[in-house]
Amino acid sequence: MRRGLFVLAVVLVFFVLARELWRKRAPRVFTTTSGRVEMCLFCHKEQPEKVHGREVVGCSPCHRGDPLRVDKNLAHRGLVKNPGDLRVADKTCGSPACHPEIPGHVKKSLMATNRGIINTLRRYWGEIPAGEGIRAEDDVAYLLTHEELKSPALDYYRKLCGSCHLWFEKGKFPGFLAEKGGGCVACHLVPGPKEAKHPRLTRKIPLENCVRCHNRSGRIGLTYQGLYEDEGYGTPYLGGDFGEETLVDGRFVRRIPPDVHYKAGLVCVDCHLKEETMGEGKVYAHFEESVEVSCVSCHGGGGKTRRGRTIPGVKKEGTSFVFVDKLKGKKHPLKPPHPVKCRHQVHRRLSCQACHASRVPQCFGCHVRRDPRERQQDKLTGKKTPGLWEEFKSYQRLETPTLGVKGNEVMILVPG
Amino acid sequence: MSYLPRPWVSWGAGAAFLLALISGLILSYPYREELPLISTVGIEGVVPLGEVFRALHYFSGELAFLLLFWHTGEALLSRAYERRDVLSWTALVATYPLLLLALFTGYIIRGDETGLSAGRIAEHLALKVPFLGWLINRLFFALAEEGVHRAYLAHIFVSVGLFLGLSTWHFRLRRLKLEDLALWAILALALGILFPPGLEAPPFPTHIKGPWFFLGIQEALRHAPPYLAGLIFPALPLFSLWAYKWRPRAAGLSLILWHVAYFLLLLKGALR
Repeated sequence: MRRGLFVLAVVLVFFVLARELWRKRAPRVFTTTSGRVEMCLFCHKEQPEKVHGREVVGCSPCHRGDPLRVDKNLAHRGLVKNPGDLRVADKTCGSPACHPEIPGHVKKSLMATNRGIINTLRRYWGEIPAGEGIRAEDDVAYLLTHEELKSPALDYYRKLCGSCHLWFEKGKFPGFLAEKGGGCVACHLVPGPKEAKHPRLTRKIPLENCVRCHNRSGRIGLTYQGLYEDEGYGTPYLGGDFGEETLVDGRFVRRIPPDVHYKAGLVCVDCHLKEETMGEGKVYAHFEESVEVSCVSCHGGGGKTRRGRTIPGVKKEGTSFVFVDKLKGKKHPLKPPHPVKCRHQVHRRLSCQACHASRVPQCFGCHVRRDPRERQQDKLTGKKTPGLWEEFKSYQRLETPTLGVKGNEVMILVPG
Repeated sequence: MSYLPRPWVSWGAGAAFLLALISGLILSYPYREELPLISTVGIEGVVPLGEVFRALHYFSGELAFLLLFWHTGEALLSRAYERRDVLSWTALVATYPLLLLALFTGYIIRGDETGLSAGRIAEHLALKVPFLGWLINRLFFALAEEGVHRAYLAHIFVSVGLFLGLSTWHFRLRRLKLEDLALWAILALALGILFPPGLEAPPFPTHIKGPWFFLGIQEALRHAPPYLAGLIFPALPLFSLWAYKWRPRAAGLSLILWHVAYFLLLLKGALR
């Protein structure tokens, strides 16, 4: 026994010494400015932006793992690549010391639930009664955990629409889909300087982050910046030359005059409040219930939304109002509605867009075909399941918008 | 037929305790009680072989407690209490809570979330003790006022004092064999390599589990008032152990029932 113990002890001591030679030791204990131990900083030199600076926040409050360890395997246990993913956001971005109320609101928002899309689709396809209100299953989070819930409309949604919501896992799918989704970072992440080796988080959401999703159906994100989705008959030719531009998903676009707000340097989040985009904790079924800003909120409304909230960019200067944009901080004078043209009795039912939206894309004859012989990827689960959905349109035109009446208001119609 | 305690268990407890003392002495140099977590992390990540000594200290301490538990069971089965007078039996029973205290204060002085939270609970429980609560708190905890200072001193004084007392009165240290020491050192080191002792970081403390042997009390505190769950309940087995000398059947039954209940509570707490 004594001999066996001796051999075992020698082997163990040799192993411990060899491991000591091999392992990397930190020169000191790394802490953040608040004195919290953060040994991640020994290896990781990445520099996020100032608010989430490495010396202030460190790595582990966002990316989890074990900040008390130096050994890579131990330190990286429970590591989260994307802290903004809604599956972990309660423990990362939404941790009690940071933004605790936000993930709960976002998970109820339309961008996370897609409630309106799912509900409308099922209603149009006759799967739920016309007067049916919100159902629990009209929610991406529900569909993610209930694969057994099957219907043609849901199958179509899962395969063709299922990449435009905040539960979509960033980087899970190849190609242009890799850039989509990611929860909080779907909107708040922008590339950082090369030497920083870390993307930056921002409240100044650039247009391209919104347009990554808001580029189909009404094509608002495209039209706003002066892009018209041209059919191009499947070729890039325009006037005998390569005149067409393509979007990341391969669709052809043509340049048209952009929206005046775009020309002035405004982006989506200049007008749309966080309560509209990130939710306010209430469950809305449709987009129009959630949106509270309108043209008159800024132009003649003193910066108040229909729910009485103040638009942060609107400032009073003397007797008039200006708008300070988020990205550059530039002041823009705000014109009130024209006292004659806009207030005239004959125009009282016209929405602003009825006159001011000079053109909108109009996509007619939308057809959907399902080929049961083929398989297609379910964008929620990532699995390929039977049935390939394809969309077709009869024709698409860039026209002065068709007007229609909704309630007591004349507004533009954008078939898409 | 009378039961005889196994020598490897009793000597194992002594050997593991001695290993815990030796490794603790080494760790006390880089450890700084005014910066408990920073210095513990430093021992793990900066001090050469620091994590080896910490693992040795951690697991030898745990093994000492587990072997003492086993040894106590064997002592009861062999009716060792019949050969002890009241005073020495009381002193031997007291080694049990004292070793637990040494183990518990060891968890506190790591300064991580598990340790500090367990320490705060213990501090509040100590203050619940009638008449002597403030004194017990001042002697062993007082975390709210002094950080881990008191717990650190208690850890050292109780450990060293207990070992000196036992080695001069209960067993002869010079009879401890080198191979016993080597065997338990190898086992503690191997456990340390396979299961590195953890440290709990504070970023998201919605649920903190205390040391494994404290989980039963932590769980009991969820279901019963602190006085009952934190004082009476843990004191029951000690009283039963002490009373075993006079009422072996009743005390034995009480000990078995208590340990079954505690194991279930511990299991429930661990699975949370």
